[in-house]
Amino acid sequence: MSELPPIPPPEQRPLPPVPGAAGQRRIVLPPHRQRARRPRSVRAREWVRKNLFNSPGGTLLTIVAGAIMAAIVFGLIVFVFFSANWEVITHNRWLLFAGGFPHEEAWRLWVSIAVVFALIGAAYGTWSSFGRRDHLFVLLVGGFVIFLMAHGGAAIWSTIYFLIAIGCMYLGYALTIWMPRETSTLRTVQQRIVGGLLAISLPIVLVILLVGGEVGPRHLDGFVLNLILAPVGIVGGIVIGIPLALGRASRLRTISLTCTAYIEIVRGAPLLGWLFVALFILDDIIGGDLIIRAMVVMAVFTGAYMAEYIRGALQALPRGQYEAAQAVGLNQTQSTRLIIMPQALRISIPPMVGQAISIWKDTTLVTVILPLRELKGNADSAIAQFEFTPDRIEAYVFVAVIFWIVAFAMSRISQRVERAQGIGER
Amino acid sequence: MSTQAPASPPSAGGGLPPDGGVPLIYRRGFRRLVQQGIYVAVTALVAWYVYDSLNLREFGFGFLDDPAAFKVGNQWLTDVDGVTSSRIEMYLVGVWSTLRVVFVAILLSTLVGVIVGVSRLSSNWLVARLAMLYVEIFRNTPLLVQVVLVYAIFLVGAPIIQEVLNIGDFAFVSNRGVAIPWPVPDGGWWGAPDWFVGVWVALLIAFGAFAMSVRAKRQDRERETGQPQFANRWAFGIFAVAALVTFVALGLPVSIDRPFVEGTRYLEGMVIRPEFAALTIGLTLYTGAFNAEIVRGSIQALPRGQSEAANAIGLSGYQRLTLVILPQALRQMIPSITNQYLNVNKNSSLAYAVLYDDLFRVAGIIQNKAGHALEMFFVIIVTYMLISLVISIVMNFINSRVTRVGV
Repeated sequence: MSELPPIPPPEQRPLPPVPGAAGQRRIVLPPHRQRARRPRSVRAREWVRKNLFNSPGGTLLTIVAGAIMAAIVFGLIVFVFFSANWEVITHNRWLLFAGGFPHEEAWRLWVSIAVVFALIGAAYGTWSSFGRRDHLFVLLVGGFVIFLMAHGGAAIWSTIYFLIAIGCMYLGYALTIWMPRETSTLRTVQQRIVGGLLAISLPIVLVILLVGGEVGPRHLDGFVLNLILAPVGIVGGIVIGIPLALGRASRLRTISLTCTAYIEIVRGAPLLGWLFVALFILDDIIGGDLIIRAMVVMAVFTGAYMAEYIRGALQALPRGQYEAAQAVGLNQTQSTRLIIMPQALRISIPPMVGQAISIWKDTTLVTVILPLRELKGNADSAIAQFEFTPDRIEAYVFVAVIFWIVAFAMSRISQRVERAQGIGER
Repeated sequence: MSTQAPASPPSAGGGLPPDGGVPLIYRRGFRRLVQQGIYVAVTALVAWYVYDSLNLREFGFGFLDDPAAFKVGNQWLTDVDGVTSSRIEMYLVGVWSTLRVVFVAILLSTLVGVIVGVSRLSSNWLVARLAMLYVEIFRNTPLLVQVVLVYAIFLVGAPIIQEVLNIGDFAFVSNRGVAIPWPVPDGGWWGAPDWFVGVWVALLIAFGAFAMSVRAKRQDRERETGQPQFANRWAFGIFAVAALVTFVALGLPVSIDRPFVEGTRYLEGMVIRPEFAALTIGLTLYTGAFNAEIVRGSIQALPRGQSEAANAIGLSGYQRLTLVILPQALRQMIPSITNQYLNVNKNSSLAYAVLYDDLFRVAGIIQNKAGHALEMFFVIIVTYMLISLVISIVMNFINSRVTRVGV
């Protein structure tokens, strides 16, 4: 592998400022140059002319694009409301959602969801706030889920539990949004508590899901498996990635050589290849449940990529930061922990979120060669049932929509974080 | 550790204080030695543990020479039956299948990326929205799902072979794949052997090089004199005339092979199988969305003055794009695009999901038959790294051409 500098995925790069965006001052003209605002109809006509019919070529483009758009919309409406047989989804709700997770232990799932939702709400309340779009998103997604659960043999209790979970999110939000935002001891304590809870949310969820009772890792199945694998990969990847990045940047030859070798070898093979290792080779080395091995592979794989992003951030830090840390008398460990790492991690948030979304999508790969069944795998099981064999397209479209919702939410939340942190601005 | 350090000679040419008097444990060299020693020891311990837990008594690559005893589909230009051929031959057939997918997907995804990326910045609201819709949909859904969805649409949507969709006896569409006409070597007027077509290809390459040199010369003259020299038209004309003349002179060494359906099979022509199509289309759509964002980002990173200057000297929208904007944006986008190409290479392993016999799937079959998972993994990773290396080398070469400053 040649050594390419890690490039942040383009979606994470800061976009140039949009003219007229919030934060820009409006120019106020002197009275003699002010004009009355033209009526809405005139402005609308002008907008249409400027943005749709600005030239003969532009008109042609508009017609072609409009035709394509109309065809897509028409096709979608026909497919979704008339030709598709969504029974393959509604009939297999539980299979798709949790698969082999025992029914009598379902409360664990609901409690985990409520906890995570509450934490998300608290995080929003602490560092941001719900805008109209966020409410709309919750409404749409919640409506979608409830529609699924109410359609074809209503699952009343699940609907109620889901509503309670949404309620928990707003409760967490309400508890935190009223706190004063000014810097104060209270604010610091609040941030520490919410941040700490977020940091340990994954272990909390794993404990709720797996400790005690009849459940074990092998019961993680369906969409729940995606929801567990991805955070394990992301958190594990960061935990592995930080020392790897530092190691690769180390002055000690043996350390930097081995870390470089690790990163390049892991990045050299596709994730499927590493899952192949999890299936056939890791068994002899660490043993354990296949799901655990898959988690280890996810973390090890993500770690190499995260390390590259963090290394890029380390290199992007001005030399002065290192020198200043030395100048105030910090030793190596202190300067890394207090000066270098916080800044490097902050810089590398955008590409790391890109990697997180990528890992989220890649959780589907465990289905391909491992005998594990996540959402896509259970969709395969659903269409393997005799009465649903013609409904392949419906099943996969549903899976795609579910993945899209979460990935889209992740990218939007990361944009929020970036703006709050002022990343990409000077 | 209270041993007094032995006085060592002061370092020859540095501003560092001499070591004398500094206790051993505070000396930088000593500390590094100890740190690395500990590190090496721990690493060696882990490595030894891994080595020990792997059962390496039967390690070796001899099993690759044994007869394969399985079939691989989706062969093109190869005809390996799996009975007489060895496993390594089957694996190489798989590598060839991977290379085809990667090559086509890279080309198409670049095309999609440029078109969509430029469309996203279009002043036409509808076009920009359409492009954004495409990017947001395909970037945020798993590639695996896209591939199997395309495959499912093909299997469910396309007619069965008995009701094949016949496009003017020219191309055929069914759920066995798409059959299209394809050029094949032909004896032509003189009944020459198949290799004779190579002569024509060689001549084409020679005339292509000649046309390029004419183009470069005319471009130079245009730059010096300011008179239009129509370099592209000349180059294209020379090439077209030469191709036609040699084609006739050699007695039409290539003929177009039209496909037809016999029973439940396609015969002749080129058959694009659903597996290949699904994988390639999936890779193209997915990577195209990322490429589009790269193209958009690189164009937006250009100073606004560039497009304003292009407007000022009166270039049309198309000229502005192809002569001013894209050549400059290219410099910025090549490193990111290279990364995407490397991803295409690795993502082609998703062939496994649609049972396209790429290298990964063939390796999986071999492992299934013969065991030796570790060796097979070793072979897989080396192959992927080699392909990645080739892509990197090619892209670095293009990068050096593009970033070379000059007119």
